[in-house]
Amino acid sequence: MPTIGESQRMTPDRHEFRRLDACHLLLTGATGFLGQATLERLLSDYPGVRISLLIRPRGGASAQRRFDGLLRKPVFRELRERIGEEELRRVAAERVTVIEGDLGEVTLPGDLDVVIHGASTVSFDPPIDEAFRTNVSGVVTLYEALRASGADPHVVHVSTAYVAGVRKGVVPENRLDHTVDWRTELAGALAARADVERDSRRPEVLRKSMSRAQGEHRKAGPQSVVSAAEEARQEWVTERLVDYGRARAQSLGWPDVYTFTKALGERAAEELWGERHLSIVRPAIVESSLRHPYPGWIDGYKMADPLIIAYGRGALPEFPGLPDSVVDIIPVDLVVNATLAVAAAPPEPGGPAYFHVGSGSRNPLSFHGLYENVRDYFRRHPMPAGERGHVRVPSWRFPGSRQVEMMLSGSERATSMAERALLRLPASARTRDWMTAVHRQQNNLDFLRRYADLYQAYTQAEVIYDDSRTHALHRTLPPELAEEHGFDPSVIDWAHYLQEVHSPSVTELMRGFSKGRGGSRRTASPALPERTDIAAVFDLEGTIVASNLIESYLWARLSSLPKSQWSGELADLARSLPRYLRAERRDRGDFVRAFLRRYEGADIAELRHLVDDVLGEALLQRAMPEAVRRIRGHRAAGHKTILITGTVDVFVRPLAGLFDEVVASRMHARDGVLTGYLDSPPLVDEARAAWLRRHALDEGLDLSQSYAYADSYSDRPLLETVGNPAAVNPDPSLYRHAKRKHWRIYEWGAHTRGRGDVLIDTIGTVGAR
Amino acid sequence: MSRPGFVLDVDERTPPLLMHQGEGFRLERLPLGAKVIYPPDSLPGIRNVDAAIRHALLNPHGTEPLPELLTRGMRLTIVFDDLSLPLPPMQTPDVRQRIIEQVLEMAAAKGVDDVELIAGNALHRRMTPAELRRTVGDRVFHAFFPDHLKNHDAEDHDNLLHMGKTKHGEDVEINRRAAESDLIVYVNITLTAMSGGSKSVSVGLASYRSLKHHHNVHTLRHSNSFNDPPNSAMHHSYDRMKGVIDEHVKVFTIETTLNNDTFPSSMGFLNKREWEWNVRDQASYVAVKRANELIPAKTRRRIWQSTAAPYGVTGVHAGLQSEVHPRTLANVHRQQLTEVNGQADVGIYSLPYICPYNVNSVMNPILVMSLGLGYMFNLYRNKPIVRQGGVAIFYHPVPNEFHPVHHPSYIDFFEEILTESTDPVLLESKYEEQFATDPWYIQLYRNSYAYHGVHPFYMWYWGAHALEHLGDVIFVGGDRKTTARMGFRAATTLADALEMASHTVGSSPSISYLHAPPLALADVQ
Repeated sequence: MPTIGESQRMTPDRHEFRRLDACHLLLTGATGFLGQATLERLLSDYPGVRISLLIRPRGGASAQRRFDGLLRKPVFRELRERIGEEELRRVAAERVTVIEGDLGEVTLPGDLDVVIHGASTVSFDPPIDEAFRTNVSGVVTLYEALRASGADPHVVHVSTAYVAGVRKGVVPENRLDHTVDWRTELAGALAARADVERDSRRPEVLRKSMSRAQGEHRKAGPQSVVSAAEEARQEWVTERLVDYGRARAQSLGWPDVYTFTKALGERAAEELWGERHLSIVRPAIVESSLRHPYPGWIDGYKMADPLIIAYGRGALPEFPGLPDSVVDIIPVDLVVNATLAVAAAPPEPGGPAYFHVGSGSRNPLSFHGLYENVRDYFRRHPMPAGERGHVRVPSWRFPGSRQVEMMLSGSERATSMAERALLRLPASARTRDWMTAVHRQQNNLDFLRRYADLYQAYTQAEVIYDDSRTHALHRTLPPELAEEHGFDPSVIDWAHYLQEVHSPSVTELMRGFSKGRGGSRRTASPALPERTDIAAVFDLEGTIVASNLIESYLWARLSSLPKSQWSGELADLARSLPRYLRAERRDRGDFVRAFLRRYEGADIAELRHLVDDVLGEALLQRAMPEAVRRIRGHRAAGHKTILITGTVDVFVRPLAGLFDEVVASRMHARDGVLTGYLDSPPLVDEARAAWLRRHALDEGLDLSQSYAYADSYSDRPLLETVGNPAAVNPDPSLYRHAKRKHWRIYEWGAHTRGRGDVLIDTIGTVGAR
Repeated sequence: MSRPGFVLDVDERTPPLLMHQGEGFRLERLPLGAKVIYPPDSLPGIRNVDAAIRHALLNPHGTEPLPELLTRGMRLTIVFDDLSLPLPPMQTPDVRQRIIEQVLEMAAAKGVDDVELIAGNALHRRMTPAELRRTVGDRVFHAFFPDHLKNHDAEDHDNLLHMGKTKHGEDVEINRRAAESDLIVYVNITLTAMSGGSKSVSVGLASYRSLKHHHNVHTLRHSNSFNDPPNSAMHHSYDRMKGVIDEHVKVFTIETTLNNDTFPSSMGFLNKREWEWNVRDQASYVAVKRANELIPAKTRRRIWQSTAAPYGVTGVHAGLQSEVHPRTLANVHRQQLTEVNGQADVGIYSLPYICPYNVNSVMNPILVMSLGLGYMFNLYRNKPIVRQGGVAIFYHPVPNEFHPVHHPSYIDFFEEILTESTDPVLLESKYEEQFATDPWYIQLYRNSYAYHGVHPFYMWYWGAHALEHLGDVIFVGGDRKTTARMGFRAATTLADALEMASHTVGSSPSISYLHAPPLALADVQ
């Protein structure tokens, strides 16, 4: 049955062309970028080929479902339009068999003629064990499964040009020249995780992450600290494993763990299948298609695209790269054509054939040329910048990587210092604006750092991948097929490809995103659902009123003291202020306790009277109208409104009418005089969350649909208990957290009266009597 | 004798003219041929006000002298106009204080000991103790506050009395203490022709249930203008209500009128016609304007809000309201009425820093609307100074500012209601009830110092007649977003405003500028 018999096998030296026909082909990695393109091509242009796909079930989706999903993707758009949805499904059902399984364990059919092995990890810096599992163990399992199946197909092993590692000059299409033993490396890599996990549990390491977590999260309560510390440990493990990979790769002459494992994968293939028919295809940087299935087709962002987009957003002021180094980009359809041509031309057994698919040797694109084309594209089609018009892209001067590195590390130090400083500042609209600016800067720098490190080998390479064998294969194509099925990179007009095909395609998604974002800061909040089993929980100070414990104390104290004693009282308060601030930074509860001691000896009836007559007014003057409106909105929707505050209950009375439930501190009194102690611990940080969960259970409230509003990082646990958390005038820590979690952030208090005015009015009112 | 009102035709020799613009002012050169309506010069004040009050109380119109109405054991309630009058507040002693003191002396002499003083604040915010003290004076305040000197509480349903309905079915519900008194003495200041008369008791002491019969879009659209009682549907309703009240309780009215000394001598130029400014006026214009621009916004507001007018009292009349009020109106007309020939295509109004509802507070955008399209636009008899379909140009910065305690429902009205619609009829039918009966607003009105929840609606209705009459409304110097929210437009300069208006009234429109304050009432023929 196989038409590609011994007699027809050819080497590129023999100038004779065959197309894949009437055979059974196994494709791995069909859900990937190259895999999708290959599958589409096979379905649309190779009617005689039966296809088996090895697809891994993922995230609850079976292999078959993932395949069905695949047919709806843009890669099949043209085909779908040409033959219709139904016909496509029919063809797929008739010609494609989905084999569920991954590269760990699988049974393969015994009649395979061709295997295209395209499955691979796409990330450049995965943890070492993951990289090896996919790129090395996966290869081993595949070949073992092939052996077990009894078939003897021609395997096209897709690798990468960069397996050649860090070197200069021309790299031939040959077996890699190194002596690294893949079995030893594989064993070491798989064992690394256990080592790192063990290390991560060493007390020194744990103490360090614990103390960092305390510094950052103490305000939010002990549980938050613990979970942050554990999260940090897990992150540490991943980082270590990534570092293991990178360090090992670099110590052996590869830029990263990806190319390192791909190189070892080749070695494994040669060892396990080299005696049979094995071709190794090494594409360079694969990017959007030139012509097929349609110009500019791409699936997600590929290697160069994050840089292109970041540049278009104005976020890359400079990039470390040699202007004259060759950026070896190749459109995906050319790679597919080459792979399928190779697949139809099996080499003699015992002599694996190697093919470089790239543009570097025949149609080199310099880094500078890439930059110019992209720059010109963005100058003609700048990215929208919300309400501020369009982004102006920077001009690069290529000052050399040392200079860029210096600029980069200098900026990194500056922003991290700025952030540390900002986190200590009080909450205000201005600090939040600064915080946003610092974060934007930090994100840009992180991005630049990551890609500068990752792509160093690719943007500073002084290497050319020889492709004479690939070119010879291309030349066997009959002229009528050359355009559709050829893979000669010299047909690429870089200006056209980069400016008309590739850049528009990769920026399309971002453009749509930016358009929808204009003036994101003040977007209207969605309507509240009408339900009675929802709670709306509000913190008081900073959220509903702009005042705080100290301010309300001052109102109370100064309006009940004769003017002559004000200075003494104020001086005493000022002296104690540092102590209070320290307590506040340490623990909100400590502060509440310490501060409320000042009420020792106050007459409770008198205080109540004062609140009703004077302080209530002050509180209302410091209230934020937006908050009141929000509370009333929740009430109107039938929600249960709850106020949780550390403030003493007497002070809350003027606002109590807005709430179904008020949870406030209660001060201990003896014979109508306050003792300065609380009746029970103040309800702060995690205690609030615990209270709310309990309350929800008792009252049958649905917390996942409930709302919470607070201003301080200490309220993080409370906010996390509900499905709709919102940060109101958040302090810098909460602001950072809310930004990361995409919580709603409100700026309230536009018409709230100033602190000083209210204080003067309040104590003035009493004086006027 | 003071000079009468005057209409200036702007020519080459006309200097730039003064425009109030919120907490500031400027000189503006108007196009040639524009008409400027000035009120009569300020009338001389009565020299001995106390004697005039005494004379009025002892020689009332249509009733016995006050002492004869006072008897031992009677219930006497003295009601006085609240903070919204006069504007700006008058220098102390307030004329209300002078009157109340004399009434109280007469009452004491007659052995009347059941006396209550009530501020007729209707749905306005309560007056603070300090504001009450300033109005009635220290002596009265200390003697009566807080138990016998109070604000009227229109939501204290136990202390309201429904007196019946008018023949038009209008509910008459007022303060129970007043209604059940043997005598109400009403102490009034009539600043504009709208105030006083039958409005005093029927509005000042009323509840929402009663007020909604005349404070609504329909009535206001048929009050042309509400400063001309015979042609005001609103006043017809007041009159009917007063008829019901008269059947229940005797009211002794004391009405006063003020002259046009609106600004203190340091800003005397604001009271004068520009071409008569002397060197001192010119210098103080430059100095005050410069200083006003330099000081911080908060201080500026405090200074403006603490400005008190050195008003002279032009008349005190007491007795039966129906006989007193025509005399009062005559006094108002003597001070404010200026005859104008014909309507213009464009009316220009300059809006000052104060209106009845932002004393010691903030002039929010809704109040700007009511001051401009309500109060200023309606300062006319017969016809508005601007023709039907014409354009009104107002001078005001219209900042997005609100007083959180005094105007909480205004904030919500601005943020949530005006974003839905600016059509008074729709707002009235769809949202008024909800705001009027909202328990939170009611709590704030009763216990805090908030205007009633429904008050922003009334402010909007106040402009309903102008909204219907005008083809376009433009604010020179207005905040773009705020004016747009209210359905108006903003222009940077008068030239821009006229350019914008040209789409409605053509490129060479006739223009009338109502030069106020000091207040002028245009009698348009």
